Amino acid sequence: MSERDVDKPAFEMRQVSKVYPGTIAVDKVDFDVFPGEVHALIGENGAGKTTLMSIISGSFDDYTGDIFINGNKVSLRSPAQAKKNGIEMIYQDLSLALPISVAENVLVGRLPRKGIFIDKEKMVSETFDNLSKVGLEHIDPMIPIEDISQHEAQLVEIAKAMGNNPSILVMDEPTSALSQEEVERLFDIIDSLRKMGLAIVYISHHLPEIFKIADRVTVLRDGHRIDTKKINDVTQEELVQMMVGKSVTEFYRHDIFSGEKVRLKVEKLTRYGFFHDVSFHACEGEILGIGGLSGAGRSELARVLVALDKRDKGRIVLDGKEIKSRNMAQALDEGFAYLSENRKTEGLATRLSIRDNILSALVPRLSKNGVYDKEKGDPVLMKLIEELSIYPPDPNREVSNLSGGNQQKVLMAKWIAVEPKVLILDEPTRGVDIGAKVIIHNAIEALAKEGRTIILISSDLPELVSLSHRVMIMRQGHFIKEMQKAECTEESVLLAANGEGV
Amino acid sequence: MSELEQKKTDLRSVSQTWFSKKLNVAGIYGIVALFILLGIFLQLLGVINNFMTTSNMLNIVDAVSMLGIVALGLAFVTYSGHFADLSIPTTMALTGIVAVQMLQFGFFAAIVSAFIVGTIIGLINAFAIGKLKVNPVIWTLALNYMTLGVIRVIWANKQIYPDMIASSERAVELFDNIYRLRFFNKIAFPMIMLIVLFFLFHFVMSKSKFGIQLKITGAAKKSAEYSGINVERVIGAAFVISALTATLGGLTITSLSRVGAWYNGAGYDFKAVTAIVIGGMTLAGGRGSIIGVLGGVLVIGLMNNLMTLLGVGTFSQDMIRGIIFIIVVGINAKTLRTMGRDDA
Ligand SMILES: Nc1ncnc2c1ncn2[C@@H]1O[C@H](COP(=O)(O)OP(=O)(O)OP(=O)(O)O)[C@@H](O)[C@H]1O
Ligand SMILES: [Mg+2]
Repeated sequence: MSERDVDKPAFEMRQVSKVYPGTIAVDKVDFDVFPGEVHALIGENGAGKTTLMSIISGSFDDYTGDIFINGNKVSLRSPAQAKKNGIEMIYQDLSLALPISVAENVLVGRLPRKGIFIDKEKMVSETFDNLSKVGLEHIDPMIPIEDISQHEAQLVEIAKAMGNNPSILVMDEPTSALSQEEVERLFDIIDSLRKMGLAIVYISHHLPEIFKIADRVTVLRDGHRIDTKKINDVTQEELVQMMVGKSVTEFYRHDIFSGEKVRLKVEKLTRYGFFHDVSFHACEGEILGIGGLSGAGRSELARVLVALDKRDKGRIVLDGKEIKSRNMAQALDEGFAYLSENRKTEGLATRLSIRDNILSALVPRLSKNGVYDKEKGDPVLMKLIEELSIYPPDPNREVSNLSGGNQQKVLMAKWIAVEPKVLILDEPTRGVDIGAKVIIHNAIEALAKEGRTIILISSDLPELVSLSHRVMIMRQGHFIKEMQKAECTEESVLLAANGEGV
Repeated sequence: MSELEQKKTDLRSVSQTWFSKKLNVAGIYGIVALFILLGIFLQLLGVINNFMTTSNMLNIVDAVSMLGIVALGLAFVTYSGHFADLSIPTTMALTGIVAVQMLQFGFFAAIVSAFIVGTIIGLINAFAIGKLKVNPVIWTLALNYMTLGVIRVIWANKQIYPDMIASSERAVELFDNIYRLRFFNKIAFPMIMLIVLFFLFHFVMSKSKFGIQLKITGAAKKSAEYSGINVERVIGAAFVISALTATLGGLTITSLSRVGAWYNGAGYDFKAVTAIVIGGMTLAGGRGSIIGVLGGVLVIGLMNNLMTLLGVGTFSQDMIRGIIFIIVVGINAKTLRTMGRDDA
């Protein structure tokens, strides 16, 4: 490590700032990263991490300050300039084009050609080479991205970036969509890239991850750089202190759930090829966790419960009444709501305001004789913005202007506003910081206390274990185990999810 | 929780200037005002005459009222995130021809049949694009040519004239009057239609349940679906509205030209899209307003008027409109990028 200190940094920025209309998102920040180093960037939601990384990847032509690559001053005012300088970025919100094949995504901009035609054989083989670097040999290069899972898509992103042989790789929360094992696999990949001499910038809200993978860490707060430290010289508590300016304790609840009024009963629910004969019940006021590896069929189950997909078999009974909704609108009327795991494409309309988003599922209820009553939604709206401390607290702000974590809070607010009987939450705290996580967890608790039934799907084990009253483990489309609060630990859930110890 | 809440104050916000805020709000009407000032300026210099007269002002609106009617309806399609309805030109032509043909059964029959045909075209688009999710540009372009084919087969390139077909003199007169009826000798009937549609559509787009759902659908179709919005029906309705205003436009232009012919309505698709985009409605959907679109229509009217007064030829006028279209789209893309958005 010491010899590296005499090297030149692969990348260095001095006094860099970026102003959005209305916000100084990055304020005179110094930042550097050496070859063969993983430099972590952390900070609360809205601290400016994504903005800083977008500057590196050439997204803005109006930043100020100086940027050096291998000691030479460069200008990164377009994505093309950044690419030319060997910089690749993996975005927080996936940027892959959905209806297009994996191969075309991975090789975009450099598709192999035979004359004027695309050389399909070469395209498939080159894609295969790239995919195998990230352990995705099993994926058919010709299927469209929308047919692979979120975590595979994340790895495809990395394969795509690697295909350009970058010397600087920027990753914005690459693990937020990954399960524990996939994270391990990603870390192996990152480690080998580091050994190859790549300079890597790594953004994450998971401090334990940072301690596992990073060499140095920089903390941002409100657009300022607070400090840069060698990872061995700091503790987790110190980092939290630097991030929020005070210490936050994650709370863990231990009370036992005692309600017994069954609200939801699901019998032998089946969607062929995704999940089979799934039966369970959930009570009023209960938080029922569903654990499992990604691909176990949890999100598919949720989608069938809210009638986004058709079921092949089985019954859904809510408050003693059999539910046969044919689409999401009917499911909503019956009292179901579903916070989907993919906030950017399925959850939010990022080009619209916070108001339009939070109230979007309420439009029929806020309308009378076809006329929409804009004011009627205001009380709920303002209450939720405050309760979830959405920042900035301006209902007319466009959601795409919010940081990732605040977008997630807007999504949460949208489904709380619906006041459902059964709320299905699919990865509800993806990409939110420690403080915001506590806020969202509190909100979930409060909903349960009001008597709503919560079905919590989460790959975040501490979250799943601490919030749920009961956990069902799903594996390869089957419910294989039910665990009461007392027997739920991170280890036991993980073991069960992997099919061990059942 | 309370201590977490209180800490976030707007520490970093820098205020936008008063001027830039006003400019945003004024938007297209700022440009309208600029054109009017330009006209006054040119008149003061003596380069043009008769710009700042009541009759010229009425002329300007009169000249664009047909375009306005079509653009206001098409705006719903653009707002829904489906770019444009390129079947407008032949929808206008066909509904006009059908009306003339049906004048043999009287004026009322003519109008009703035109609207039936228009509705059918709208429903076909609604089904193909809303339900079957066919690409809107390709589909409506194809339908445009299919409709053209229908006209050519049935009317075999013949042009048909109201006065040769109509059941009575009275029917011809009524039909002629769609375009020619003047209130107080000044205000034309199409202008009245435009004004009524403007208020109606402004209400529908910004205040009705349908309008809000259309906005969400246009901005993010999948999220809309996940929010329980029946996106197929919402998108379909947008195409039906567009077909209905195209029918109104078709009747008006046929009344003006006193002939039912396949070329009535040619070019209205591009002209209307230009007005919509200049009016600040982005092609990506979910953003913009009816007020803006009307502004766009007025800007085109003013531009045409000034160019005509200046003696610019028709072809040059077309070219200038094309250039302005490109510039507006370009400026939009550039500002959106600085603001950190990626769509145009
Ligand atoms: N396009 C935009 N227009 C205006 N303000 C913006 C825009 N994008 C981000 N901001 C603001 O800039 C600040 C920094 O946002 P940024 O997305 O960089 O945060 P972040 O550190 O990545 O947060 P997160 O952990 O939630 O992803 C925030 O206050 C945010 O509200
Ligand atoms: Mg971010």
